[in-house]
Amino acid sequence: MTELVERVGAQALGMVEAARGLTNVLVRTLARTFRRRRGEPGEVLRQMFEVGNRSLVFIAVTLGFLGMVLVFQSSLQVSRITGDPSPIGPQFFKILVHEFGPTLTAQMLATRVGAGIAAEIGSMVVTEQVDALRMCGVDPIEYLVVPRFIACMVMTVALTIFAVVVAFFAGALTAKLSFGVNPATFINFAEAKVGDVLTGLTKCIAYGAAIPVVSGYCGLTAGRGSEGVGSATTRAVIGSSFTVIVLDFILSSVGYFVFQGGA
Amino acid sequence: MPVKTIAGTLGSTIVGLCRETGGMTVLLWRVLRALVPPTLDWRELLRNLHKMGNKSVPIVVLTAVFTGGIMVIQSGVFVRRFGATGLVGWGAGYAVFREVGPILIGLMFSGRVGANNTAELGTMTVTEQLDGLRALAIDPVRFLIVPRVVAMITMLFCLTVIGDLVAVIGAVVVAQALLGVSPWTFYWSMIEHLHPVDFTNGLIKALAFGFAIALSSCHFGITVRGGAVGVGRAVNNAVVAAAVSIFLLDFFLTYILR
Repeated sequence: MTELVERVGAQALGMVEAARGLTNVLVRTLARTFRRRRGEPGEVLRQMFEVGNRSLVFIAVTLGFLGMVLVFQSSLQVSRITGDPSPIGPQFFKILVHEFGPTLTAQMLATRVGAGIAAEIGSMVVTEQVDALRMCGVDPIEYLVVPRFIACMVMTVALTIFAVVVAFFAGALTAKLSFGVNPATFINFAEAKVGDVLTGLTKCIAYGAAIPVVSGYCGLTAGRGSEGVGSATTRAVIGSSFTVIVLDFILSSVGYFVFQGGA
Repeated sequence: MPVKTIAGTLGSTIVGLCRETGGMTVLLWRVLRALVPPTLDWRELLRNLHKMGNKSVPIVVLTAVFTGGIMVIQSGVFVRRFGATGLVGWGAGYAVFREVGPILIGLMFSGRVGANNTAELGTMTVTEQLDGLRALAIDPVRFLIVPRVVAMITMLFCLTVIGDLVAVIGAVVVAQALLGVSPWTFYWSMIEHLHPVDFTNGLIKALAFGFAIALSSCHFGITVRGGAVGVGRAVNNAVVAAAVSIFLLDFFLTYILR
């Protein structure tokens, strides 16, 4: 019994500690982002290249296949019920813009970029480069996390737009090849309203802000040695993917009430 | 100059891709060879099953609850427009069982267990523990890799079963709270429109995803080079490879198992 209480208590304390650390990193990152920066001039651009260009093929492959699968599944169901899969296109675009595009792109970025950030910062912590930064009077958050934060927010939006385009055309191709739906009827953007676009954009920005903060925190708190880097990377992947799912739930509910006039 | 750079990048990417795919194929062959007379280290297997399965239950349950909720919110628009409350259970259930459930649980599993496994094997490789095993005439594939591969496949399967059921609970709660669809309507909608095959198709996908995650995480773990930095990079590569293979396999399995 005592052991159980102890374990629950230890878990709770750990969670409180993590929440405090995360809030700390988030607040300091935001404060440093809006203050005048004195970091390296090309750092944000370099990170944008790292986050954006290096993820292009990865995002294109995963989201392209996702688009094909989604259209295939839903066309199969719709043609079983009504016999006509042609109205799938506009609905598919709508749900891609406000749900699957941002969320799955962010999931992919959480695995690729989140792990990358944690591995990089974690290695710097282990090799005592972060301590060296502190000794020189440089704030590691300002120097390491802020450029990644800005780059990740911008690039999540850009990559999501790219992902939506790729997934939509992959879907159009599937609809044409498997169900003979004319691309001219499939490619119809009428269903996507301003509310959908706004929901999608809000999600992108929220995910783009969350991934570097969570992974940066995991990297900065890495333990000693290669074990420390490994476990920091693992925590970063799982933490940022889970944050994406929770944010998706919250923002989808808010979007449903605000834009679809729910309840 | 730019053409040369592009050609060089493309070439090295393709060579790298071939090397990793080849490495995974060789690893797969060695794992299968080790499994043919099933000589398993049962203690190691049990330890891995516990570590990979039981300890992942909380994160899978949380993910699944939210996933179920999200699917209901997404179908809410159609329900309101067409008044089709009888279809919510079918829509959410179909999406969760066949696609979203296995994919999201697989991705979370890859993040938690796959990445952890790569980090662990990578640390062992970097600290030359694998060479130590070889020096004692213990085959690292038999002793370390096979129990992990078996444990990951088994556990992703079990976790997907749990996750699917929990996702339905999440969906029922959100349907009642947000759309005012009673749990009873939801239940009947699922019973009437869903078939067992929808559920089993998702589980077949989970088996395949487990296989892909296990192979990629073990492969990148035992080929680590370059100390702590190398371990971080290997974990990164392993999760990326697992994510790509999950989506590729999902596509082909969806075609095969309509």
